[in-house]
Amino acid sequence: MRYRSPLLIIASILMLTGLFTRAALAHHSWISEYDANKALAVKGVVTKVEWTNPHVHIYVDSTDDSGNVTAWNFEMASVLSMERGGWSRRTINVGDVISVEGFGGRAVTERAIASTIITNDGQSLFNEKPRD
Amino acid sequence: MRRTLPICSLLACLCLPQLLLAQELMQRLGGANGPPVVEDAAQLAVPMLADGTVDLSGVWIDGGTGRAEDLLPAGTLNNLMQPLTKEKYLARDPADDPYNWCMPGGPVRITGGFAWRFVQHPTTNATHIFMLQEGNAHTYRQIFMDGRPHPEDPRPTWYGHSIGHWEGNTLVIDTIGLNDIFWLDVGGTVHTEQLHLIERWTRSDYSTLQREVTIDDPGAYTAPFTVSYTAKLAQPGSEILEYICIENNQYGVAGGAVSE
Repeated sequence: MRYRSPLLIIASILMLTGLFTRAALAHHSWISEYDANKALAVKGVVTKVEWTNPHVHIYVDSTDDSGNVTAWNFEMASVLSMERGGWSRRTINVGDVISVEGFGGRAVTERAIASTIITNDGQSLFNEKPRD
Repeated sequence: MRRTLPICSLLACLCLPQLLLAQELMQRLGGANGPPVVEDAAQLAVPMLADGTVDLSGVWIDGGTGRAEDLLPAGTLNNLMQPLTKEKYLARDPADDPYNWCMPGGPVRITGGFAWRFVQHPTTNATHIFMLQEGNAHTYRQIFMDGRPHPEDPRPTWYGHSIGHWEGNTLVIDTIGLNDIFWLDVGGTVHTEQLHLIERWTRSDYSTLQREVTIDDPGAYTAPFTVSYTAKLAQPGSEILEYICIENNQYGVAGGAVSE
């Protein structure tokens, strides 16, 4: 028993990864949609909030130093999950300036998933419940 | 062994970003879809109805998540699959899972990933039991408890024809008449219209439901097999909420399965 089979170890790692990955699935397989190697940080103005199922979407326009505007579509969790976590459809509004961290879509980078949102006053909207 | 360590390290490095991403998103996006579950309720008695059957009513979380392949001893599913089943199973892509396109998940997945409610109607000598699903297709299953048999030639449907009875404190549900369109689970476990499901639901303690699902499908497997799941009771006052998946489903755009 001193030496474990390499295959067993490899299988264990894959299984562990698979279990955690699947644990995160809600409606969809996020891993099949988003690229863990496309971490991104975007600051911009909210142009639209879709407080919808299966997932909430927040649209953000970011402008670079040359004045070029990029339109982002950030996917979030389900309305069920977000409302149970203390969010509401009024938490983020059109016109708000926010900073978003997330991961780009595998095929369409700007169709991304948000992992953290920080409002203009520095409030983090993922690691704590949003304040009133 | 000398070669094993670098291989394992490489694999761990490859898998780690996925692992962290999944864990982090789970935490940051507010956890699971369902409300919090009851903890430490082992001292509470399993509630009974006036007719002497177990009271299953309440909002439950889960009880149908996971791939059969992962829930069975290693190699079991592979050994039971007929050649065409294996071919189909290996070719399945998540983008082809009807569930991802807001279609019903079938009788096993109706309790997977979202909150759901068991309803015994009426509460004395129930003639029907309903499972109301909060998530995805926002639908329900009905189980006939009045002693009727299955129809001889049922039209294949997403949830089939279910009849139930009690064996002691275990609710046994027998289902046939299922279509072969839905995927049995998130892993794409294959079935045919010959599928015959036998479920055994036991409230093993106040806050826990044990579910054993026997998959008997001579069209796809060489022998029946049984997969076990667990559901947990949601905290008192929890309700199922509205969730219409088709409302704004953008699945496939980011990953390229469909264009915007």
